[in-house]
Amino acid sequence: MTALVLCSLVFGVGLYVVLTRREIIAILAGVELMLGSANILLVALASFAGADGGVIGSVALAVLVVAAAEAAVGLALVVSLARRSKRSRVEELLEVKG
Amino acid sequence: MTLTILAFALSGLLMAGGAAVVALTRDLMRMVIGLGTFLLGVAGMFLFYGQAFLATAQVFVYVGGVLVLFVFAVMVVHRSSGGRPVLESRHDIGAAVIALGVSGMVILSLQDSVGGWLPASASGGAAIATELLGGHLVVFELLGALLLAALVAVLVIVGAGERR
Repeated sequence: MTALVLCSLVFGVGLYVVLTRREIIAILAGVELMLGSANILLVALASFAGADGGVIGSVALAVLVVAAAEAAVGLALVVSLARRSKRSRVEELLEVKG
Repeated sequence: MTLTILAFALSGLLMAGGAAVVALTRDLMRMVIGLGTFLLGVAGMFLFYGQAFLATAQVFVYVGGVLVLFVFAVMVVHRSSGGRPVLESRHDIGAAVIALGVSGMVILSLQDSVGGWLPASASGGAAIATELLGGHLVVFELLGALLLAALVAVLVIVGAGERR
């Protein structure tokens, strides 16, 4: 129960960061908070449910890999935007058109 | 048992403290350090739940890899914007209510799934490797393809800016 409360609160903190921050890097950090706490919650719940440790580990590893890929692409977009147009905030991206 | 509780408490403190720093600080580098603290706490939690391989992967991939990417991005943005980036927040009660509401919903919906204190299942790297290279080989290969696609995407995104 402690892990559930802790992970849920950290997930809420990550959501709060995503909703309130304006810098794209900070928003990505908030997404990392949400993904990390969700991954811990997945491992905790599966452990309590008596799932096989190898299955839990492989699913959590998949989440970890997807989160790492998301962070890499997101940060590449931030760097590319900053180098092209000196923009790093979400409001400034409203002017960007494809 | 006392050591186990201490390990859980330490990991939980690292997670909560790091998340609080990410949410509250105005300095971008402090935010990255807070994120690193949170990720170390996540690795500690993996250890607590008997997933030593996941904890090692977390430290290598996130604390050693993604965090360096964050620092690199902060350095590039800092250089481009010509000044030390200060984080701005629209701290408002609505966002806090939404975040607390989502947390409460998660707790209420999952509270029956959690029982006891310490789960019994634990696994080492061999069990995970057996799963990945056995029944989940296709998923494992797809994950590798996803990472390759992400790598190529990063090169295309950053390389396109380099050519201009």
